Amino acid sequence: MNASIIVLILVAVYTGWRVFQADSMVRATFALLVSFIAVAGIGVILSVPYIGVATVFMMAVEMMVMAIFMVAFMMNSAGLNPMSMVHQEKPAMAAGLLTWLGLSAAVLTSRLPDNPVPADNRAVRDLGIELLGDSMLTFETGGVALLATMVGAVILSSRRGRYGPADEGAQPPGLMAGGAPAGRRPEEGGGHHHGHGGHDMGGGEMGGHDMGGHGSGSEAGGEDMHAGHDMGGQDMDGGHGTGGASMADARPNMTGHEAHGGMEPGSAATGGADADDPHRAHRTAGTGGTSQQGHGAMGHSAPGAGEDARQEHGPADDPDSHRGDKRR
Amino acid sequence: MMIAALNLLAMLVLGAWLAATFDRMAPALWGGRARGPLAALADGAAMLTRPATGTEKPDAMLRIGAPLLYLVLAAVGLAVVPIGPAGALIESPVGIVIWGSCEALIVIAVFMHGWAPNSPFPLIGAYRYAAIALPVMLPSMFVLIAAAIPAESLSVTAIVESQREVWNVVRQPLGLPLFVLVGLTLTLRGPMDYADGLDLAGGTSAEQGGRGRALWQMARLAMLVAFSGMAAAVFLGGPLGPVLPGPVWLWLKTALIMAVVVVLGQAVGRTPPANMLKLLWVFGLPISFLHLVAAGALALW
Repeated sequence: MNASIIVLILVAVYTGWRVFQADSMVRATFALLVSFIAVAGIGVILSVPYIGVATVFMMAVEMMVMAIFMVAFMMNSAGLNPMSMVHQEKPAMAAGLLTWLGLSAAVLTSRLPDNPVPADNRAVRDLGIELLGDSMLTFETGGVALLATMVGAVILSSRRGRYGPADEGAQPPGLMAGGAPAGRRPEEGGGHHHGHGGHDMGGGEMGGHDMGGHGSGSEAGGEDMHAGHDMGGQDMDGGHGTGGASMADARPNMTGHEAHGGMEPGSAATGGADADDPHRAHRTAGTGGTSQQGHGAMGHSAPGAGEDARQEHGPADDPDSHRGDKRR
Repeated sequence: MMIAALNLLAMLVLGAWLAATFDRMAPALWGGRARGPLAALADGAAMLTRPATGTEKPDAMLRIGAPLLYLVLAAVGLAVVPIGPAGALIESPVGIVIWGSCEALIVIAVFMHGWAPNSPFPLIGAYRYAAIALPVMLPSMFVLIAAAIPAESLSVTAIVESQREVWNVVRQPLGLPLFVLVGLTLTLRGPMDYADGLDLAGGTSAEQGGRGRALWQMARLAMLVAFSGMAAAVFLGGPLGPVLPGPVWLWLKTALIMAVVVVLGQAVGRTPPANMLKLLWVFGLPISFLHLVAAGALALW
């Protein structure tokens, strides 16, 4: 028994020393874990089985979390470059030595009890009564109240996010001026983000645009108008499709409509032009669309219109079709 | 003691073979091709003869340490399961806490296995697994504490004894399903296999071949045996049963749990990690807590 305790002490000290010799954060963390497990083993041998074994699982979970966070926040986490794991060496040495001397002195000078507790002595119960007495309920209630306070504090402090209040749909700024919000968008309401990334984003940003960039395109007319579309083609076409119907509706519908935005600027323009007439907008945007998936998502009445849709694009591209814009 | 040690060894080796065979027979349930009892051995032998693959600057110590730790944890976990009235190989008043510590260290072992090769897919697998497995520890803890309540002890032997009248699977109906979820996580299977999934080209095992891979697979199978033995002891009364001797009952119940886990692992699909994380925190945790409350209320009543 003594031999195994000595071995465990040596393991604990050796792995504790390895913590400061390892280059890799993960190695250092797991070396520390081995050190703790050795100490836990000593506890088990000294007949505190619960505390000893519980140390193992608590330390395992803690070290796992610690490893992840250290890798996330340290610049040289994998030890690919040489790096010193120690800093402020002299104060640390002094503190360590003092602690060791103090603990050793406490162990050596205190008189350890030598009369064994009888097996039927309910020591733990007596200790609990001695510590808390009749106030157990108060104590536990206080604990739950403190936990609720902590949760509340986190909620209150996390409300003001980096890009504004979190509960009002804070969005990061776009990558370009006036562009769609950067970053990943949450998948809601169908979320048919199939390949037309640019369109989708346009939809989100223009959100039922009232003749934004698109209106200017049609005023320019003729050649320039196409230029305008091309420009918008990346960002806005989806938005036109959106403008057609989802303006009046809830935003989540947008994802369905985005699919209709289609590849062709013309069709999208039509959809946008009829923003005040959702049904017609559905139809035009729908036939303009090249995506079956989009139709399905809409559940509207132009199924399988793929080929026809392409033919109907022609007129949609004509300046005539944009009179709708001006009319509006 | 000697008998318990031999039983442990036999259960680990034969159980691993049985689990591997279940894995190869399960496809027959949905019209696939079932393979016979020798197929697992042939596959294992083929894996052993393949050359080991290397990566640039791996963490060699963790690389060999991870499968070994996983295997040792399976052995220790199974050692606290009592095989009869005489008790378990590791007979401890806190047996169930020892099992819980093994569970927590499994997360470490899998993370080490993904970290060691210094390669993207294994690392992603390791991170995914850590994110999923840590919240799975909570239902596991609640389920085991609930099972300890009627026994009024943390000893697995006492928990088995407490089921002499009625098994925990009847008394605490949510316990076994929740614990099987834990088992799928511990053995990296099916819906909970966020470490070694095919969507990551093998995840933490993506860069491993030859003997190291064989050892890892063996450890996974051994862990399935250990988990099944534990589930059999905690919910199905372990070695309790009429006529047949205790160990035989334990083997049969272990094999039954093993088959259930294998079939669930192959039949149930895997949801994206973000969904699973939400499911675990929003539903898994409250359900397991309610389970604990119900078990406590039943014990008081």
